[in-house]
Amino acid sequence: MDEQACPRCKTTKYRNPSLKLMVNVCGHALCDSCVDLLFLKGSGSCPDCGVPLRRSNFRVQIFEDPFVEKEMDIRRRVMRDYNLKEEDFANLQDYNNYLEEVERIVYNLTNNIEIVSTNQSIDRFKRENKDLIAKNRIRSGREEIILEELLEEEKLLVESRKRAIAHEEMLEKKKKMRSKEALIDELMFSEQSAASIVETFKKRKLEEQEELERHREPSPPPLVAATQFSTGIKFSQRIPKDGFLPVPKADDTPLFKYEPLVLTRNGPSAPTWEEVTEKKYINHVRESSVGERAGGYLPQLACLRALEEAFDGLRTVAVARWTGQVA
Amino acid sequence: MRLDIEGLIVHFPYEYIYPEQYSYMVELKRAIDAKGHCLLEMPSGTGKTVSLLALIVAYMRQYPSELCKLVYCSRTVPEIEKVLEELRRLLQYYEEQFKEKIPITGVVLSSRKNLCIHKDVRQEKDGKIVDGRCHNLTASHVRERHLTDDSVPVCTYFEDFEDYGNESYLEPGVYTLDDLKSYGAKKGWCPYFIARHAVSYANIVVYSYHYLLDPKIAEIVSKDIPKNSVVVFDEAHNIDNVCIDSMSVKITKRIIERASANLLDLAKTIRHMKEVGPRRLTEEYQRMVDGLRETQQARETDMVLANPVLPDQILQEAIPGNIRDAEHFVGFLRRFVEYLKIRLRVQFVVQESPAGFLKDIMQKVCIDRKPLRFAAERLASLLKTLEIADQTDFSALVVVSHLATLVSTYTKGFIIIVEPFEDKTPNIPNPILHFRCLDASIAVKPIFDRFQTVVITSGTLSPLDMYPKILDFQPKVMTSFSMTLARPCLLPMIVSKGNDQVAISSKFESREDQSVVRNYGQLLVEIVKIVPDGVVCFFTSYLYLESVVAAWYDQGIVTTLQRHKLLFIETQDPAETSLALLNYIKACERGRGAILLSVARGKVSEGVDFDHHLGRAVVMIGIPYVYTQSRILKARLEYLRDTFQIRENDFLTFDAMRHAAQCVGRAIRGKTDYGIMIFADKRFSSEDKRSKLPRWIQEYLTDNLVNLSTEESIQCAKRWLKQMAQPFTREDQLGISLLTLEQLQKEGVENIQQKARQKIK
Repeated sequence: MDEQACPRCKTTKYRNPSLKLMVNVCGHALCDSCVDLLFLKGSGSCPDCGVPLRRSNFRVQIFEDPFVEKEMDIRRRVMRDYNLKEEDFANLQDYNNYLEEVERIVYNLTNNIEIVSTNQSIDRFKRENKDLIAKNRIRSGREEIILEELLEEEKLLVESRKRAIAHEEMLEKKKKMRSKEALIDELMFSEQSAASIVETFKKRKLEEQEELERHREPSPPPLVAATQFSTGIKFSQRIPKDGFLPVPKADDTPLFKYEPLVLTRNGPSAPTWEEVTEKKYINHVRESSVGERAGGYLPQLACLRALEEAFDGLRTVAVARWTGQVA
Repeated sequence: MRLDIEGLIVHFPYEYIYPEQYSYMVELKRAIDAKGHCLLEMPSGTGKTVSLLALIVAYMRQYPSELCKLVYCSRTVPEIEKVLEELRRLLQYYEEQFKEKIPITGVVLSSRKNLCIHKDVRQEKDGKIVDGRCHNLTASHVRERHLTDDSVPVCTYFEDFEDYGNESYLEPGVYTLDDLKSYGAKKGWCPYFIARHAVSYANIVVYSYHYLLDPKIAEIVSKDIPKNSVVVFDEAHNIDNVCIDSMSVKITKRIIERASANLLDLAKTIRHMKEVGPRRLTEEYQRMVDGLRETQQARETDMVLANPVLPDQILQEAIPGNIRDAEHFVGFLRRFVEYLKIRLRVQFVVQESPAGFLKDIMQKVCIDRKPLRFAAERLASLLKTLEIADQTDFSALVVVSHLATLVSTYTKGFIIIVEPFEDKTPNIPNPILHFRCLDASIAVKPIFDRFQTVVITSGTLSPLDMYPKILDFQPKVMTSFSMTLARPCLLPMIVSKGNDQVAISSKFESREDQSVVRNYGQLLVEIVKIVPDGVVCFFTSYLYLESVVAAWYDQGIVTTLQRHKLLFIETQDPAETSLALLNYIKACERGRGAILLSVARGKVSEGVDFDHHLGRAVVMIGIPYVYTQSRILKARLEYLRDTFQIRENDFLTFDAMRHAAQCVGRAIRGKTDYGIMIFADKRFSSEDKRSKLPRWIQEYLTDNLVNLSTEESIQCAKRWLKQMAQPFTREDQLGISLLTLEQLQKEGVENIQQKARQKIK
């Protein structure tokens, strides 16, 4: 890594720390000052292999190995067209064959084998799959989506952790301040000796800490970004393999069935709605006003409720007292 | 002794038994009955190994259908040998009892280096070279060539084993490394392959952790172990670190350079082969098209241990088309290596998740996730096809391919950190790419899932509840046993201040403080004066050790120390350290007395025992926290908090205390042994640190031994040493810490159980 050197002027990274190696399509490196010198006119031939080059095609070398640099260049170009995803194939075997085909093309182009026929096959492929290629340029594959989601989740996790820590710290700070103030107040106004006050405060603080330790809740699991509805449908419109949305999950929990409430009264049963009026209980309750009736209030309601309350649990009390005596 | 443990008849090879051994067996039996995992802490030197073996052998005999195999994993070769010795004694006892040979085979498996008997190869010192040379002699294509051309050398031991030994089985009995070697020499078979073969049928297998935990090796060695086996991890207090290391990859500049060279070699070999005879390459290519079905078939029967490096998903699919062809694959790896080179050319530290890495690699060099996942498998196949026997040359490339597979397989629980230089030397560029596992449970998960009982045991596992959390499993039994003692043979003390009342601590702010350093020196001088024979002193790091010793030298403490004992120091060089250790032992044996300054987490603290006079006192200077500024540690702490709700401080304290316990535990290796344990740091006296010590230490760490000054601690030690110097016979122990069969029956099970785990106040 340190022994990077320009093949032409032999300058090394050690002698010139700002040395930048550039490469062009042929994959041979040159330092930037040599590029300036040789390609003054904008075009020329590579000093290594003599291939005519344009100056505008020079770019900074990323990889140490110029061969890999060249391969990557070609690979990027090929991948722009060969961008089919696993979902576009009927079965895995076809997909694997396709992958190998891509690999073979890249290999041939980088090693200068059968360039003409390879380029022809690329063109043929482009023609045949024009629509699919255009479509795939805008969408991303399944694996990439999973990765994106993971990254998003991690980001959220880091954020929530940061927030939790900040929150905890703030609380602790506040508490400390408060107890300090309380201690000073106590020292100022209390009659006890200062030593004992300090002692009790120290003890209380320790106790509080222990309490805190004991009740410390495990931090809640980090929020996971909501990417789907509860039915399992994704938020974003991604077209799955077969072009349809996934079948919504069938909800097979049983339907709600009403069952009348059974009350255990533990006492004599209260009069019914009719009896309240028949037996004149109602007379002891205030008549409802117009406004109240508008809201659906009837005097029977209050009357019934009062009666029920009076009767409820009459027997329970007796039992409870009896057991109490025994104990 | 014939014991009845909850209905199971156990033959115990000694006349006496410790109460805690009895309870240990009871707990272990319950765990095996429940077919669950268990976590057992019992002090070293109280006979863990023999209780374990006695119970499991008895269980295997009584219920052979429930339990058919014991896999015992230990850390070092001497420990493994010790296990086998215990097993031999146990089986001898059985023989005496039943007057016949019992059909149990115990076998050890170790590296080729320890087992090879080939006259040239075994001369090699380096394990890797032995492996490589062995491959050279035993690879299938080498042997094929040997058939037509006699000048190609092969290993006769291996040949004979292949011809005759493959079908035969070892006689029942125990086979140590030496036994295997002499057996191999007698028969003319290779001991290593005898052992490898024996792993599949032996009842008891003893080997190192790595054969089970390291996915790369486990696949080859441990795949045939049936489900109804018991797996024991002994000395397992560091198991999480072993797990993490086995799943992590470190890429340095050197590895990258060697990988590039490897790739050139590969390309050349492929070209050569294409010219000479492309048959093998086309055959391989055809295999690639058909997929990795062979391996899948093996896994379907559930006989193969699920390998975390090679997820199931891979096996179901064929190799992706773009790396099917050998030349394409080499180009693919070349791009990957170039990409790693770019990543290593950083100026500042980069931290990234696997997902981010994958996205970047897609953009920079157009490598998809899927082919990356197959890289390791594809490379292995290619190396096999190209008939490259000595794969040690290609180790760099293999490492790179492992990185590729791991990074694309796991998106959670891993992190990538690229550091342009080491923290200590920020001016020397030394870029390293760490691909680090943060979750210890990933590597052990297949083991917990697969085997019915996994026993994790050690002398220091406190606090117990941390291990189920970080290893992510549900133990059925989780117990810590104490040590029943007839006399208080350990004296733990926490010294928190010097004679001048200055608090002593190794915390960062007071590291440079001369008075603290002087007080540490004073403490050591006083101890050296009163303690006979060997004293071991542990520091928190090499750096701290050096600075303290330098200061002591100036203060004249070193000369005072040397007036009483010889001084030895552990260094980072293993050869130097073992020499120092040798001389330390010599000085103790001669009665001259010696002091060894060493480092927690170093070689001495992990593997060397200082029993009896070799270690009468251990001083732990400071709390051995890990270097908390390391980015890898920070990432792991964050992960632990987010995933397992373990707070940073809890984990750091846990880790520091287990190492402290490990250090001081070196001194007591049995019930007749005795030793002083001094924790010299103010912070040890706080409750949260103390409570994390193992139970057997805590029990003797009473309140009057906490927060002492140097002088007070010396007074305690003097009194105690006089008490310890009294003659001590077996009769003193009988009935209290040592039981005969009658006592055992008389005392009743409940009592014994209680004795073994007295409650700590």
